[in-house]
Amino acid sequence: MNIKFSDALKVIVSSHIGKAGLMLLAFLVGVSIWVLATYPLDFGTKEWSNPTVWADNPKAVPPKWVNLLPGTDRVAHSVLESDTPDDVRTAGWVKAETYLMPVSHDFDDFPTFLSFTMNDVKFQGRPPLITLSLARPDGTTVKLLQHVPSGARDGETAPIIRYEQTPFRLLLSADQTVRAALADFHNEQYGTDYNERDLRGLGDQAAFGVPIPGDEAAFESLRGDYEFVVDITFASTEDSLGSVKAVVGGDVFGGMGTDSQGRDLAVGLLFGFPVALFIGLLASTLTTTIGTSLGVVSGYMGGWVDTAIQRLSDVVANVPLLPILIFMVIVLGSNLFLIILVLVAFSWPGLTILIRSMVLQLRSGQLIEATQALGASKTRIMIRHIFPQTAPFVFAQMIFFTPAAILAEAGLSFLGLGDPSIPTWGQILEQGFRTGAVYVGYWWWVLPPGLLIVLTAMAFVLIALAIEPVLNPRLRTMR
Amino acid sequence: MALVRTLGLRAATLLGVLLTVLVLLVVTLGASGFSDRILTAVINEEIRGLRTSQATQSRNPDALEAALEVRRAELIEFYGLDRAWWQRMPDTVFRVITLDLGEARTLRSSEGSRKVSDIVLERLPNTALLLTSSLIITAVIGMAVGVKMATRVGSKIDRTVSFGAAISFALPAWWTGILLILLLSFTFNILPSGGMYSTPPPEGGFSRFFDLLKHALLPIITLVLVSVGPYLYSVRTMTLNVAQEDHVLVARAKGLREGLVMRQHILRVAAPPIVTGLILSLVGSLSGSILVETVFNWNGMGRLYFEAVAGTPDEGLIVALTFIFTLMYVVARFVLEVLYLLLDPRVRYA
Repeated sequence: MNIKFSDALKVIVSSHIGKAGLMLLAFLVGVSIWVLATYPLDFGTKEWSNPTVWADNPKAVPPKWVNLLPGTDRVAHSVLESDTPDDVRTAGWVKAETYLMPVSHDFDDFPTFLSFTMNDVKFQGRPPLITLSLARPDGTTVKLLQHVPSGARDGETAPIIRYEQTPFRLLLSADQTVRAALADFHNEQYGTDYNERDLRGLGDQAAFGVPIPGDEAAFESLRGDYEFVVDITFASTEDSLGSVKAVVGGDVFGGMGTDSQGRDLAVGLLFGFPVALFIGLLASTLTTTIGTSLGVVSGYMGGWVDTAIQRLSDVVANVPLLPILIFMVIVLGSNLFLIILVLVAFSWPGLTILIRSMVLQLRSGQLIEATQALGASKTRIMIRHIFPQTAPFVFAQMIFFTPAAILAEAGLSFLGLGDPSIPTWGQILEQGFRTGAVYVGYWWWVLPPGLLIVLTAMAFVLIALAIEPVLNPRLRTMR
Repeated sequence: MALVRTLGLRAATLLGVLLTVLVLLVVTLGASGFSDRILTAVINEEIRGLRTSQATQSRNPDALEAALEVRRAELIEFYGLDRAWWQRMPDTVFRVITLDLGEARTLRSSEGSRKVSDIVLERLPNTALLLTSSLIITAVIGMAVGVKMATRVGSKIDRTVSFGAAISFALPAWWTGILLILLLSFTFNILPSGGMYSTPPPEGGFSRFFDLLKHALLPIITLVLVSVGPYLYSVRTMTLNVAQEDHVLVARAKGLREGLVMRQHILRVAAPPIVTGLILSLVGSLSGSILVETVFNWNGMGRLYFEAVAGTPDEGLIVALTFIFTLMYVVARFVLEVLYLLLDPRVRYA
């Protein structure tokens, strides 16, 4: 019965499935540690559920690498940022800065949106004049935007700072004056007869295309190298600008794509690693602790204690877990620790019954008899002499229960009952299912979270399978 | 006599489960203040509705307010809000135990009845259809493959199937469902993605049945996929354990045919735990049905539970449905006990 940990490890490693399980687990733990080291702990409330963080991402687009598939040529997502001017000219008191942000556009399709952001505009007296234009590959230049930050208010003293807390952000493709500027540009360059209203919904196409002749406004993609040019004229040489950013919204994003709110799924999925392991390991540790102690006490003490514990575990073992879990979450509110607590409260009886039957055998053994004869107390015998002999089984059960807890939480999250402050894989999937991602084929939103749940559960199941021969020597001799 | 005593003890335990669950539900509802909150909201809603409908007829606002206050007092007494929850709740427990499940606030049966028992009776057969067919398929596959694996332990097939069993255990039922929808219904457009009948449902008994079958196929496949793996693995292990016993060695030494040894000396002995495993997987599917029915829009008990829970929770309905789920669970467990007794003479004559 006494199995050393190192021996157990040897048996696990000796089988293929055991090796695969351990490798998977090492991967999961590695990623979790990295995430814990790099993510803020309040990631869920501060970033994941905060729409402004994700504003400049395209909505519900697949990952970048789909462009590797034949016949797919989706527009790449480009974020252009600059915090040092490419050119500074001064003349007397006046200073002019130019920021250049080149981007190449080599697609048949158009960007999904265009946005422009700047922050920390500092000026002494008069506000600067900011001009954004787009240089196109055919040598033409469109002046998209002219902007002057609001001047000094009553009582405000120099230096005056604008766009410090909330940056100036403009969705160019949805802006009326930008559309008017684009219409003028095309009328002048290509002799079209557009007005601002004709270009509604076509802003991105007008910026990155040439008109197709016809009654209605239509564009053909103009491939080549573009450049966003930001010109700023300051009224004083002491004035300055923090940084500028232009985003050419793509049709693909990052390694995992985005959801319908533009959230980077890779970021959310990574955060799910430590959460899943935490749920699984905490729930299984608590369950095995309760299950084992009750089992040992029940088996060793006997009498009315035994009867009481056995009746209780009989009753608890027969309570349907998921309905009760749903009920508790509805009534008491969605909290990760409550979920784990309920999981534990209804999962211990199986182990108690198992451990009790083992203890009943151990109790009549010579070792225990000898210890009793030496006058050891009941507590001492249970902790020092009975528990160690059941330890390998307890350990195996702990591993086996871990995926069950992870799957239970994921199922609950899928019903929309997950803890809203902590994003989990189940919740990402639920949002995908609820917004109909399954029925419009957003596979990148639905497949990875489920796959990760399966992989995590698999790691523990495989290790549990590999441990089986350690506990059941009959299976070992057969290999 | 021992048989009656054993069965009686099990029945008592299971009744204890029912009672414990009910008390747990009711105490949670009461002690958390959830029940008071919900009932107050219901009364406020009713008073507001009354005020809007009466405001046009009544000229005297003071008289209207007075009438409303009288009505509010009536409602508070009707719902028992004037008493503490522990005084109000025993009635609820008693009513639910006698299967007087009350009325749902918003959910209706297809005939428009708001009685919970009508709604449950309408949905129950739909869930039973899914669960029994997936159970039969799981049982057949699990026993056939599990026993086969046990005779060839360590072979390539055994290892492959073991690995597959691990995947099956790790698969969440709802995600498997989504995967199948994405694959078979969205990409290849072979099977419908949800619901129970096409719209409009086809006329005529046979084509209607065929339509139902087509819609049931994906949920059944899902349930089988997630339950067959653990089951066949447990069949394998249990068969294997018996196959190593001395009496099997003796039987082989006597020169008995392998088929006979398998049937009479191995499977007969392993039968009770194998059946136990089957009922346990049914019990697992019962919980799984909440998720699977939600994914496939299947009009069964599981989805009913989800509907009762989503939106504004309907207290009475939730208590009634959780009770019904526990009841189904307990009945399944009791069937298991009886089967176990039939199969295992040791328990019968103990």
